[in-house]
Parts: sequence; structure tokens; C-alpha cells
Amino acid sequence: MSGRRTNYRGDLRYKRWYKTYFFSGSLFILIFGWSVAHLKISPRLFWEGIPHFFNLVTEMLPPNWGVFSRGKILWSILETLSMAFAGTSLGAIGALFFGLLGAGNISPSKVIREATKRLLAAERSVPPLIYILLLVVVIGLGPFAGMIVIAMGTVGMLGKLFAEAIENIDPKPLESLESTGATRIQMVRYAVLPQVIPSLIANTLYRFDINLRVALFLGVVGGGGIGVNLQMAMSLFRYADALAITVVTLLIIWVAERISDYFRRRVIGQEILH
Amino acid sequence: MLSVRNIAKRLPDGRLLLKNISFEVEKGEFVGILGESGVGKTVLLRCINGLTQPDHGEVIINGINGDGGPQKINEKRGQELRKIRRKIGMIFQGSILVKRLSVLENVLTGGLGRISTVRSLLYGFTDEEVDSALGAIDKVGIRSLAYRRAETLSGGEMQRAAIARAIFQEPCLLLADEPVSNLDPKNTEAVLDYLKPLTQEMAIIGVFHAPKIVSQYCTRAIGIRDGNVVYDGNPFLSDNTLEAIYSTGKHAPGATVDKTFPSPRETVTEWKQEDKDGAAMQIS
Repeated sequence: MSGRRTNYRGDLRYKRWYKTYFFSGSLFILIFGWSVAHLKISPRLFWEGIPHFFNLVTEMLPPNWGVFSRGKILWSILETLSMAFAGTSLGAIGALFFGLLGAGNISPSKVIREATKRLLAAERSVPPLIYILLLVVVIGLGPFAGMIVIAMGTVGMLGKLFAEAIENIDPKPLESLESTGATRIQMVRYAVLPQVIPSLIANTLYRFDINLRVALFLGVVGGGGIGVNLQMAMSLFRYADALAITVVTLLIIWVAERISDYFRRRVIGQEILH
Repeated sequence: MLSVRNIAKRLPDGRLLLKNISFEVEKGEFVGILGESGVGKTVLLRCINGLTQPDHGEVIINGINGDGGPQKINEKRGQELRKIRRKIGMIFQGSILVKRLSVLENVLTGGLGRISTVRSLLYGFTDEEVDSALGAIDKVGIRSLAYRRAETLSGGEMQRAAIARAIFQEPCLLLADEPVSNLDPKNTEAVLDYLKPLTQEMAIIGVFHAPKIVSQYCTRAIGIRDGNVVYDGNPFLSDNTLEAIYSTGKHAPGATVDKTFPSPRETVTEWKQEDKDGAAMQIS
């Protein structure tokens, strides 16, 4: 009887295996086919596009470095950098506030902690494009809107990371301060921050790298900075100008990244050393 | 000064850990609490300074903050509780220092209860307070380490820094949760030698694992078993007393087990042996 049972179960397992692959496979093929049908994929367009590509390249070359004779362009690049810097800084400050409220060991109450976590999750789930489209309507085109969008994205991500860093600290010093009659804010100042500062700085610098790219992209959709000039050059068919702007922008972003990477390494290295 | 009355505490899993604990402690006493692991010694200490809420009973402290009269710790919240905690120092088992701060800064945190939140955020401690903290560090003999980061200290040095913090806090009651359990004999002696003279200004309640230490340093011993106080008296413990506290006797579970396999209880027998030696040494 037990032998039959085993066979029966083996049979069942086989059937389940078969079903799983059959259904998930056909579902995948269905959805994939449906999406391809909607994309109007055409090998002909791709083929005909190849000469256009070479045209574009020849029109772009040589890059028109002359665009920088107008000081405004360099100024715009600086604007993109400052959007990223100010947005990251403001976002990090907000993230620290929400991180403290969202950390289980420091948050004043469970309700506040849960509410903060949900809020941050909701914030993270909205892409920057949605924020900028809304903000352009509310406060108009320009770097101010861009900075706010960057700050919002930063709060969402860093707030979660900060809360996790704070939850992972050694709980004993926290409790020993509590036992001396310290207030919650004093506990944050003397037991929490000393333990998490290196991780906060490293994460903030990492987010700054991401925000440099977000700032560039936000310009294209109306957030101010060099992205605006790039978009203008492309729509006016000034491809040589666009290439020059792109090259210089990438160069400056690369330098900014090297600098932030240097500081991040110093902060993390210090951690390992001690 | 401190009066613990009928404390009962149930664990989250429903087990009644402390059933009925009562005792009183006066200034100048060094009380050693003994009991098997998991008997609730730490929980009892935490009930005294309000880190844990007892389910039943009360903890009353008298004569702190001038002549404030008796105050029930377990009924205080927020600001009032912090005011009482200022006067109750606590030394924990193992590392309790903020590792990334210097020894001096760690000692200064003992005074946080005295200064306002705004001040601690804006400019911290005054020169006088720093001097007094350095004085406390001097008292425990680690003055040369004052500006070192706490994480670079050895276990014994950390525990001394913790005592310095408790001294700087100027409590009238000091709770010590296994302050020497992870230290070698030399450091154990040093730490206890720094603790003992503090009883001139305060009462100390300590949790210890070794009866030998209690008879050597404490002025009084309290034994806890099955959630009740089974011994409360002089620290020189007889074999019968140790049996009552640690259940090493014939009727204890495991006593009839084949002795060719060493049971964990053997260690207790060893303590008893040590205890006799220690007592003998003191007499001679």
C-alpha cells in the first residue's frame, strides 16, 4: 500500500511540474507576443535608420566647442551640479529626520514608526518623472523644481537606509544612556549618531552620484540646468553643439564623482581602520 | 532608601519569572544578588530603575533629589522617571560604552540627565563638568586613556570607564549587572576594588555569578530561586544556603544521574569549594 502511495505522489509531483511549466510558459509567450505586436517592430525601419545614424555622427563631428564661448552654458552645467548638491543635502537632512522616526529602536511610538515607513515606501515608488511633471505645473520650469524633485527621491531612499542603519546599532549604549535619565534627543546625539555617522555619509555620497544623473535628466524635461541646453540643441538640429555639451558635462560629472568617491573611501576606510 | 515590595514579573511567553520579591536597601550597603542563570536577576535590576515594568508590586526610592520623600519608580513616566533615573547609576555586563566616542565623552554622558536637551545639542558640557569627569576617570586609574576611543579599550578598562561614568553621574543607588563576569581574575579584583569604596556615598546592588566574590566584597547577600527570595543575610554563605539557592542537594533534579558523566552542576560544587577557601583566607 505504501508503495502505491509513493507512486501516486510521484505521479502528482510530475503533473504539477508539467502544469507549472505549461501554464507559465504559455502565459509568457502570450504577453510577450502581445507587447511585440503593440511596439510596431519593424526590421525595415531599423535597416533604413543605419545611414541616418552615420549622418548624425558626421554632423556631430567635430564637436562645436564654440558653444562654450557663451558663458551661459558653463553656468548651466554648474546649475545642474548645484541642483544635485543642494537636493542631496536637503534630502539627507529630511532622511535623517524620517530615518529616526522610522527606526524601531528610537521612534517615539509604533504608530509613528509604521506610518513613517509607509510614507517613505510610497515616496520611493513614485518615479522622479511624475514629480517633475507635477512640480513644473505648481512652481514652474527651472532648477528650483529640479532640486525639490531630487530632494524627494533622496528622502525616500536614504530615509529607508538610515532607518535600517539606526536599527542595527548596538542597543546596549542606548539603554545605558536611558538608564542615566537622558532624554530621547540626548540619546540620539550621544549614542545613535556617533554609531551611524560613517554609514550616513557614505550612503549620502553614493546618492549624490545617482543624483548627478537625475539632475541631467530632469533638465531635459524642464527641471533646469544643462539638460535644457542639451534638449534645445537637439531639437534645433545643432548636433555638434550637443556633442560638445555632452562631452564636457560627462567630464565634469566624472570629476565630481571622483571627489565624492574619494571622500566615501576615506569615511569607510576610517571605519575599517578602527 | 530603596524598598522593593512584592515584585512579580511575567515573561512574554507566560512564565512567571519573579513571583514575590521584597527587600530593602540602605545607603552604605553593597548587596550581592545570587541565583542560577535565568532566575531573573537582571530583570529584577531592570525593574528597579524602570527599564522594565513589573506586573505587580512596587519599587520605592526615598531621599533622592533633596528631601523629595518616597517615590514609586514603577508609577513614574517621562520627565519624572528621568529625574529619578539621574540618581540611579547602572553598570551593565560587557560593553556598554559608545564605541566611537572617547572615554571622556562616554563618562560625560553619565551627566546627561543633569543638563537640558537644548544645551546638550548646542554646546555640550562646561569646563567644570569636564574636569569633574576627568576626576572620575582618575579615580578608576585610567586617566591616560581619557582621550582614547572606547573601542580601543580592553574589557577591564571598559568596565572601569563604565564605573567612572557611574561616579560622574553622582547616583545614590548603583545597579551593577554582572559587572565582572567577563573579566579575568586580576581585572575582576581591580573593578571590585573601585566599586567597593563607592558605598560611602551610595548603595550598590550587584548581580554576581560567584558566591566567592559576594562573600569577599559585599556586605549582604540576597539569594533568589524560583522567583522568590530564599536567602537574605550576611554574605558568608554556608553550604546549606548555597544548596537552597542553587539546588545542589540530593533532591535536586539530576542529582541521581550517573556521576561518571560530569553534569553542569559540578561547577557549583567547585564554587562551594572555592568559597570555603575564600572564607578561610579571610579568617586567617
